[in-house]
Amino acid sequence: MSAAEADLARPARRPGLLRWALREPVAAFSALAAVLLILAAVLAPALAPTDPFDNDLSLAMAAPGTEGLLLGADNQGRDMITRLLFGLRATLMMGFASVLLGGGIGAVVGFAAAFYSRLDGLLMRCMDVLLSFPAILFGLAIAAIFGPGILAVVLSLSVATVPLMARIVRGSALVAMRQDYMVAARAIGMSDARIIFRHLAPNCLSSMCVFGTLRFGQVILLGSALSFLGLGAQPPVAELGAMASEGRTYLFFAPHIAVIPCVMIFVVVLVFNLLGDALRDALDPKLRV
Amino acid sequence: MLRHTLQRLLLSVPVLFGVLLIGFLLMQVVPTDPATVRAGPSATAEIVAEIRRDLGLDEPIYVQFGIYIWRLLHGDLGVSIINNVPVTQELGATIGPTLELMFASLFWSIPLGIFLGTVAGYWRGSLLDRVVTALSVAGGSVPVFFLGLMLIWFLGFQWQLLPFTGRGGPLWTLEGWQSVALPALTLGGVFIAPVARMTRTALLDVLGAEHVRTARAKGLGETAILLRHGLRNALIPVVTLIGLQIGFLLGGAVVTETVFSWPGVGRLAVGAILSSDFPMAQGTIIVLSLGFILVNLVVDVLYVTLDPRLRAA
Repeated sequence: MSAAEADLARPARRPGLLRWALREPVAAFSALAAVLLILAAVLAPALAPTDPFDNDLSLAMAAPGTEGLLLGADNQGRDMITRLLFGLRATLMMGFASVLLGGGIGAVVGFAAAFYSRLDGLLMRCMDVLLSFPAILFGLAIAAIFGPGILAVVLSLSVATVPLMARIVRGSALVAMRQDYMVAARAIGMSDARIIFRHLAPNCLSSMCVFGTLRFGQVILLGSALSFLGLGAQPPVAELGAMASEGRTYLFFAPHIAVIPCVMIFVVVLVFNLLGDALRDALDPKLRV
Repeated sequence: MLRHTLQRLLLSVPVLFGVLLIGFLLMQVVPTDPATVRAGPSATAEIVAEIRRDLGLDEPIYVQFGIYIWRLLHGDLGVSIINNVPVTQELGATIGPTLELMFASLFWSIPLGIFLGTVAGYWRGSLLDRVVTALSVAGGSVPVFFLGLMLIWFLGFQWQLLPFTGRGGPLWTLEGWQSVALPALTLGGVFIAPVARMTRTALLDVLGAEHVRTARAKGLGETAILLRHGLRNALIPVVTLIGLQIGFLLGGAVVTETVFSWPGVGRLAVGAILSSDFPMAQGTIIVLSLGFILVNLVVDVLYVTLDPRLRAA
């Protein structure tokens, strides 16, 4: 085969994934970055060079690049790479828990409102009431009632996610309800639960995924802010917002202690925002604001 | 118009009730007995019992809720457990600085955000548009405290340009202005991205409309098209969207106040929660919620006033 023929043949042999990645570089980059971040968080215990609570005070505030410490050490002489990996783990778990819990409850409410029109008014007015509070107030109130901690943060972010997910799901479920196959499903006597799970839910799945991904970034931002305020994860637990808060005290002597977790939060939020945008453009263009 | 306002007021009732209920629950879970705290360590059992009766603590819970509402209506939010100062007095001293911070932040960020969004929307697809869009995506991902710490590090510490802790005085004095500068740059900084994005989207909608094509067809200058037909219509959704972002602004304010030791309601609330000062925490949460509900109400009514199309509905 001549060189020219090989050139002609190449585009056809290109695998689909690579072609997609070249056409949508931002989407491909953010998807890859999200996978890497999640892998790093899941494998943190295996990847981390030390234990997250191992401290060596002789290394306290060691600058990045000190021998054996690529990112330096924190105020207690704990390896920043280890802390960062475990912090990422805690922060991502907090985000997943909030989106799954809040999104799950919100989806149930949304389906119920769309499917049982008698419940619609009542349920959606309740959601309006929840929507009238910004997440930060849920965070303050729940931390005040249950005491500061990761649980309080997950709870408040979940509560703040419920009405948003309920609206999205109700919206796309109402569209699906008008389709002929829904009428057909009822006509052949399918049970409500079967209709909802087999026909309604799959049709709303793409909207739910898009919203969940976009919400994940916002939840990380809010959750790390609550932790930064001292209302979330408590030291010595490694969590990105709490690490930034601890590092703040040493900002003028060892800025890397606060800056490194802050940069990590920024990267996580950015990656999931880009991924959410890309998913929306691909799956659900009507959600675009 | 009137009907819409009344409807909105009616919707606020359950919200208001929710706020009051959360405040009440907060005091119910207090691990310490308010009567013992108020009586002081040297009080006898009889005195504690008497205070208990005075505060209505031996009444059934619904009567206690009534007493609580009654006291709230009289502006009595109790006394701080930590320093015995009335909660209303502390709130009175901190509301001003919080409003000051919000005003100073919006004062520069809204015009800049609208400007950037207009530039990006008008020259859609240009390099400028892409830069603004990329910046607003990145800006929407920055934690408020990160921006604050960076400004403290560079402008406050390295270059010693501006103070970075506490409040120097009222806004109209030089000290006051200087002390609010860094907190306002921080809080405003995270607000630019959403404003710019909303303005761009709204402007693109309007510029694609038929009346703009008519204006172009009759030979109207580009400046007039942009200002009179484009921006003027685009700003209506921007106003509401800015109103809807007040919750986001409030969250940012709480963090900003903490980072810069700004003596506002947000910092007071966080401090009260961390030190288990329940009456103070209750008071701050109620006031922040009421403020938020009020702003939402005003924005909603304002929106209908601005957009005549909605008045008939």
